[in-house]
This record gives sequence, structure tokens and C-alpha cells, in this order.
Amino acid sequence: MAREGRDVKLPEAGQWPDKAAPVALIVGAVLTTVGFLMAFLTVPPVGGAAVNGVELIGDAMVNQKMLLSQKIFYFHMPVAITSFVALAFGCYYSVRFLMTRARRFDTCARIALEIALLFVAMTMITGEMWTRFEWGVWWSWEPRLTTYLVLMLIVIAYFVLRGSVDEPERRATFSAVVAIIAFIDVPICFMITRLIPSSIHPVVLREGGMSPEMGLCVGLVALGMLCIAFALYRARFRQVRLTERVEALKEELGD
Amino acid sequence: MGAPAAAGGAPAPAAIACEGLTKAFGTRKAVDDLTFTLPRGAFLSVFGPNGAGKTTLLRMLATLARPSAGRASVDGIDLKEEPDRAREAIGLISHNSMLYPDLTAEENLLLYARLYGVRDPQRRVIELLDAVGLKHRRLDRVRTFSRGMTQRVSIARALVNDPSVVLLDEPYSGLDPHAIEIFDELIASVRADRTFVMVSHDLEKGFRLADHVLVMARGRAVAFGPKDQMDPAEFRSLYRDTVGLGVA
Amino acid sequence: MARRGGGAAPRSALCAPPSAWAQYRTLLAKDLRQEFRTKEMLVSMGIYALLVIVVFGVALSFANPGADFLEVSGGLLWALVVFTSLLGLNRSFSHETENGCLEGLLLAPLDRGVVFLAKATSNLVFLLIVEVIAVPLYWVFFSSFAAPAASAPLMAVPLLLGSVGIAGIGTLLSTITAATRGKDVMLALLFVPIVFPLLYACVSATTAAIAGGVLMEDAFATSLALAAGYDVIMLLASWVLYDFVVS
Repeated sequence: MAREGRDVKLPEAGQWPDKAAPVALIVGAVLTTVGFLMAFLTVPPVGGAAVNGVELIGDAMVNQKMLLSQKIFYFHMPVAITSFVALAFGCYYSVRFLMTRARRFDTCARIALEIALLFVAMTMITGEMWTRFEWGVWWSWEPRLTTYLVLMLIVIAYFVLRGSVDEPERRATFSAVVAIIAFIDVPICFMITRLIPSSIHPVVLREGGMSPEMGLCVGLVALGMLCIAFALYRARFRQVRLTERVEALKEELGD
Repeated sequence: MGAPAAAGGAPAPAAIACEGLTKAFGTRKAVDDLTFTLPRGAFLSVFGPNGAGKTTLLRMLATLARPSAGRASVDGIDLKEEPDRAREAIGLISHNSMLYPDLTAEENLLLYARLYGVRDPQRRVIELLDAVGLKHRRLDRVRTFSRGMTQRVSIARALVNDPSVVLLDEPYSGLDPHAIEIFDELIASVRADRTFVMVSHDLEKGFRLADHVLVMARGRAVAFGPKDQMDPAEFRSLYRDTVGLGVA
Repeated sequence: MARRGGGAAPRSALCAPPSAWAQYRTLLAKDLRQEFRTKEMLVSMGIYALLVIVVFGVALSFANPGADFLEVSGGLLWALVVFTSLLGLNRSFSHETENGCLEGLLLAPLDRGVVFLAKATSNLVFLLIVEVIAVPLYWVFFSSFAAPAASAPLMAVPLLLGSVGIAGIGTLLSTITAATRGKDVMLALLFVPIVFPLLYACVSATTAAIAGGVLMEDAFATSLALAAGYDVIMLLASWVLYDFVVS
């Protein structure tokens, strides 16, 4: 069959970011470990947050437990930041997809949301532990927790939606629209749950309570988590793209 | 009816012109690099096995799907650049009636007439219903109509904007022989100098009505040309081959 | 027949490009006429609302009547609105997909935003009609629990703002889910988390209006402003994204 002028573009993987991925993974692991050690060894245990916590619950709570539970914060916050960054990338790729209709961006957006889901789940688990230890309840409708619950539900809905549309282009379009709406919705959700004074659950605001050491520690872990997220993203991207490549090659051969 | 093969020697633009028209997602190409021009007043039948891209081609021509590469124009109007102007020149009759079952035949047509901005919608609608022989049922809900009658209203709907290009997507599915006969008569009566493009599984009928033939397989054009330059027997064997190709 | 004056008839002789406003009115009139003729959606939404009220009645049958009820009643009312609107939204798009009518509309020289606005408006109208019936009914059934504050009629404002947002984002989402498998569940799955912030703001404003007092001063205006902000942002986003969803 004559094939001149018919450029067969196969999905590719393995450009420079793939080479950077292992490095990012190692850097991420090191940074996270350093942050972990710092959190337990060097950062002074009583920061702004701990003081507030004691004030809130009263001295009935065992002090030592308080101090240890506070360490969760050093992982909770970086994980939360990372998940939101992943969602932002998902939204960016979705916009790019709607502009170009290139399947590549659909794949990117999907994987970014997979990473987001992973980190959102981790955020929920760490947040949960914190709530349990600090407020003594399993769940509280606190703005951040609520926002993350909503975020998790939307991301889950995104994947259910992907599963229930058969036609690939339509699936990509619909999920891109939902990803964009989700990205707009989440900050609004946070604002609304935070700005409206709730009569039932007094919101504990801990503003500006971070000492420089704490900030450094959180920053290190956040950077580490971002590196890990990037490495995971590239690994998954490579895997998916190679699968697509195999599919495309099979089709070519069948032609 | 004696359809003219080409609309004179005037420099009038072709009724339909496709150039490298492609609809692809990833590496899967539904329509792949399709190039052809159809003169005014022609009747083109598109043949091909399931999944050959016939319907995708029709949807692109109807501006319901956007091409991923290449260009297509109707009456010299580029579909990508001026979709709204092109839409004014296009009518689509498909196996879906596109009629609201709980509105009357007249209300349905009035709705579409108003959307197209027909100047005197009421008169135009009555005129069309008269032409398809359903003027006496114009105040009945479409839900109460038989499949054949619904399809006749659907023809009237497609003609409400007086399109110069009419696209037919499997128009015979679900019609009984009598309804098919009426449908054919109606199509013949509205031929005038309109251009028709039909996608149908009915090989005999498609071939008889057409004066141009396009055979597609795997999104690509296998054969295109005026019917009189094609030998029916040769065409039949070609068709068998392409259908076989699609099944494999 | 139709083709007057042979092929020379210029297109403009038959058609004049209609304004977007005229097309919007045509589409809206179509939805309203269809619904008022069959009353399918309104009747099913109304009955559903009544059933939800009955379920609330059972749920609250062992609760102590008293002023505490005022703090939950706003939330219950919104649960009623959300469930009822979910039912209506699912229905509203089934008309368009039944005979491929949506494609028929898209064939016309018509801005896709107009389709969105017309559909959102008709959804809003139906939702408001059901609310006008269901909300007083709700108060009739639960009037024995506690008397609302004097500011209670003000809850019409959050109801209106909430309905606008629900109709807007709901129209976009129901267009998406109409083309999926298991559309009813899919719509709920997307709709509830996405509409959550609006719901939160509206429940807060409604509760403030019903309970009155300090809460009214604190939360009412803030909540309404936030709900309005959500409406504006989400309507704009849906309007822009609608074009991609339908083509």
C-alpha cells in the first residue's frame, strides 16, 4: 500500500525528563528523610500550633502525645501541597487538551490526576490522624479536611467518569472539562468553608505560628514530596505511553 | 430527474471539497487524508464496511465533528472558518428523527425554522408539510406518528433552511418497503439542483440513486468517481473486497 | 416545491441570520411548551419532593420538638432541594438525547453558549416552580416543631441563588452524563461534590434566616456574597466549557 506523505507518529516516551526522574526520586527520598529526622530531632517541639492545641483541649490531654502528634503536620502539609500541585498540572494539561485535541495531553492529565488522587488519599490519612490525636475525634468538618474530602470525591468521580465513556475522544473531552471544573471548585470550597463562621464547630485558625525551623522543615519535606511526585508521574507516563506505543504498532502491523 | 453531472462551466465553487480531511485521535484514524471534490447537483453515495469512517465523514461535513487536520468546504464556505455560514447551507437527514416527540409536527418545524431565521416561518412550515403530504396531521404530536411519517417530517425538517447540500445518514433504517418508496419519491422531488451525500448499507439502492460513488475502507478512500465511469460488476467486486477487508 | 427561482435564489431571500436573543427565546419556549404539555418532570419532581419530606418526617419522629430544630431545618430543606434537582436534571436532558434532537439543534447556525443558557434557564424555571410548592409544604409538615424567626422569609434569597448555581453547573454536568453509561449515578457522583461549596453557603444563609438573632447578623450577608460569587464563577466556566462538551 502506498504510504508516501503519511507520517506515522507513534507515541513516544523517554525524553530528558525520564532521565531526570530517577535523580528526582533519590533527591526526593533524601529530602523527605532529612525532613523526617529534623522533625523529630532538631525542630523545637513547642511551636505555635502546639500551644494552640493545648489551649484548645486543655491540660487533660497528655502532653507528650500532643507533641508527637504535632509531627504529623510536617508530612500532612507537604503532601497536601503536592496533591494540589498535581491537580493544577492536571488542569493545565486538560486546558491544553481542549486547545489541541492531542491525545498526549489527555494521557498527561489523567496521570496527573492519578498522582493527585494518591497524594489526596495520603493527605486524608495524615489529616485524619492529626484530627484524632489533637481533637480526639475521627472526623471534624474543619475547612481543610472538608475541602480535601470534596477534592477526593471529585477526583474519584473523574475516574468513574472515565470508566463510563467508551469513545476515546469524548472521554478525553468530558474528563478534561471535569478536571477544569474541579480545579476551580476546590479553592472556592476552601474559601467558603473557611469564611463562613460555623456555629457548631469553632474553627481553629493557626495563623503565622510557624517558626523558621518549622518552615524550613516543612519546605524540605514539601520539596522532597514534589520530587517524588514528579518521579512517580514520569514513571507512570512512560509506562502508559509505551503501552500506547505497543497498541499503535500492533495496529500498524494489522494494516 | 436527470441530475446534471456538473453545474456548467461557471467558476462556481464545488458543492463539497475536501482536502486531506482527517479525523484522528492518537494514532487511531477514523478518516484518513480524504481528498475529493463533488460538483454541484451531484448525488454521492458513500460505501464501506462498518468502521470505515463513513459516518465520521458525514458528521464532519455536517459540522458536528471537527476535523483534526485538513479542510473541507461546502459551497465554497470553509467549515472551520465560517461554521455558522456553512450550517445555513447544510441539511442532515439521519436515522434519528431529531424531532421532539411531545411537540406537534408544526411546532417542531417552527422551532427549527426560527433557529435558522427563516423570514416567514409559518408559511414555510405549512409549505413543507404540504410537500411531504402531512399537512392534515400538522397539529398532531410527533409521538403519535408512524416511523415512516416521522421520517417524512424529518425530511421537511432538514429542508427548512433550503439547504444546497443535503446529507443522508442511513436514512432507510427502520423504514418498511412502502415508506422507503415514499421516501425515495420525496427525495426525487426535492432533488432540484441540490447536492446529496448518502451513507447507506443498501448497496443496490445507493448505487442506483447515485451519480458519484465513494468507497471507503479504514478511513481512506479506496475509489472515487462518477458512476458512469465505473463498471457495476467491477464495482461490486471492489465493494466485496473492501467489506472483506473491514471484517478481517 | 421549495426552491424558488432556481439555483439563483440567494440564501438571504429565505433566511436572515437570527439574533442570539431570538434563538434563546425560541429554545426556551420549546422547553417550556414541552414540559407544560406533558408535566412529566414537574410532576415527578413534585412527588419526589413530597416523598423526601415523608422520609424526613420518619427520621425526625423521635426528635424533641424545640428551638434546636431551627438549626437543622435549613440543612434538611437543602437536602430536599438537592435530591429533587438531581432528579429533574437527569430528566431534562433525556428529551434532548431521545431522538438525537441535540444534534438537530447543533446543525443550526447557533452559538453553543445559547444552547447552554436556554437549557440552564428552563432548568432554573422548573426548579423554582417545584420549590415554590415544596418549601411551603415542608413548613406545613414541620410547623409543629418550632416557629421560625421573623427573618425566615428572607430564605427566598439563598434559595434563588442556590437554584441559579444548581441549574448552571447542573446543566453542564447533565449534558456530560447524558452521554455516559449509568448516567443517573454518574450525575450524582459529579454533582454533589462540585456543588458542595454552594450548598454550604446556602445552608448557612438559610439557617441564619430561619434562626435569626446573632447568626443572622454574622453569617447571612457573607454567605450570600459567597454563594453569588460561586454562581458567577461557575456559570462563566460552564458557559465557556459547554462548547467543548457538545462538539
